[in-house]
Amino acid sequence: MPLQEILYWISSQFLILKNILFFLAPAIPMTIKLTLVSFTFALFLGFLVGIARLSKNKLIKSLSKIYIDMIRGIPLLVQIFFIYFGLGKVLNLDRFLAGVIAIGVCYSAYLAEIIRAGIQAIHRGQYQAALSLGMTPYQTMRYVILPQSFRIIIPPVANEFIASLKDSSLVSIIGLRELTRAGREYYSQYFVDFHTWLVVGIIYLAMTLSLSRLVSFLEKKYKVHGYGIQH
Amino acid sequence: MIIQTKNISKRFGELIALDRVSFEVEKGEVVVIIGPSGSGKSSLLRCLNGLERVDSGEIIIDGIKLDKDKKSIHKVREEIGMVFQDFNLFPHLSVLGNLCLAQKVVRKRDEQTSEKTSLELLKKVGLLDKKNSFPSQLSGGQQQRVAIARALAMNPKIMLFDEPTSALDPEMIGEVLEVMKVLAQEGMTMLVVTHEIGFAREVADKIIFMDQGKIIEEGQTEVILNSPQNPRTIAFLSKVLK
Ligand SMILES: Nc1ncnc2c1ncn2[C@@H]1O[C@H](COP(=O)(O)OP(=O)(O)OP(=O)(O)O)[C@@H](O)[C@H]1O
Ligand SMILES: [Mg+2]
Repeated sequence: MPLQEILYWISSQFLILKNILFFLAPAIPMTIKLTLVSFTFALFLGFLVGIARLSKNKLIKSLSKIYIDMIRGIPLLVQIFFIYFGLGKVLNLDRFLAGVIAIGVCYSAYLAEIIRAGIQAIHRGQYQAALSLGMTPYQTMRYVILPQSFRIIIPPVANEFIASLKDSSLVSIIGLRELTRAGREYYSQYFVDFHTWLVVGIIYLAMTLSLSRLVSFLEKKYKVHGYGIQH
Repeated sequence: MIIQTKNISKRFGELIALDRVSFEVEKGEVVVIIGPSGSGKSSLLRCLNGLERVDSGEIIIDGIKLDKDKKSIHKVREEIGMVFQDFNLFPHLSVLGNLCLAQKVVRKRDEQTSEKTSLELLKKVGLLDKKNSFPSQLSGGQQQRVAIARALAMNPKIMLFDEPTSALDPEMIGEVLEVMKVLAQEGMTMLVVTHEIGFAREVADKIIFMDQGKIIEEGQTEVILNSPQNPRTIAFLSKVLK
């Protein structure tokens, strides 16, 4: 092959990739929005369920355990179908809301376990010290236990956040026009599957990599006192 | 009488941790509790401030009867400071933060007042220069002195010490005992679980010897140390005095 032809081929490849990128770019904000809203919802719900798992009330405790086991035992894709096609029809949910509920509920179960473990990791001497100073159980949680748990759970929670960004692509199946859906649209118009999914993959990778960089930066910045070497 | 217990018992499942324990402490008295491991010394202290609930019997602290009602537990805890074997400082807060937290949220003191109280107490335990350090940056002896200051910041009428020097390297025991001696001289009512017989001899008004959840023998310090009556007390003391 003459050099000229090779150069031509390379530049045409880049042109295709560029076209795809331009086509996909408008769908990226939806992926980000979907992830942010669902994960905030998941955090809120996961916190409540995590606390419920530690409740002294047997009923609350076992209900939260059932919730966690049930949610974790069903594939997210099935939950999305169930919420959009099942509940969605009854409650009149749009695609975005259905996606938010499905991802939010699913991730709340994982987060609940992380949050529960984070609270349980705090030594019982901390409770005894706080209570013996006259603090109420609520104040003990609020000022002594949770601030310490918080620092323990940041890394695993960040991992879940990154995972939820990736899993947001599943919502494309119900037709929400996020990144993966846009990829499918491009592919069905131009039939360049290799290039399309390469670009989609790279965009996800760019987002997840920058997030994990951000997390390790934050972790270093808010380095935990008291979890280092005792001297 | 500032502390009065009548026949208190506490079980953990099959295990009887406290078996009908009765004793009294006068205001300003320093009482040292000794006894072998597992004899119920920590359980006794924890029952006094409601960290552990008794199964039966009666506890009256400074006229307040400790019962199931949360308010009484709360009131009693405000009167009693407690110092633990492993310090239990809050690792996420600075020394000053450790001292101020409960003053603010329990006593509702403002920032300025709680800081002033804290600094005075840090000076008293000789750690004013460490006010901005974090617990992990302090030695064991320093941490325990901070813990004592933290308890004192709530102006308790009674201080409970559960083996305050057992987790310390030998060279740090003295500095903590020194702080405790000053407290005793100032008239603080103190209940101290310790194996430091020298400290007991010097500071304690009374010694209680416990074994298997029971008070086996109690009395004036010199009497218990110099002429114990019960064979179990004699055996225990001969071991620790060796
Ligand atoms: N939370 C608990 N659950 C079950 N058993 C307990 C609990 N706390 C204490 N015990 C048991 O009660 C008994 C008395 O314990 P306690 O800690 O009061 O003894 P101690 O005299 O302080 O001993 P040590 O000198 O080892 O500190 C022990 O046999 C202990 O194992
Ligand atoms: Mg003990």
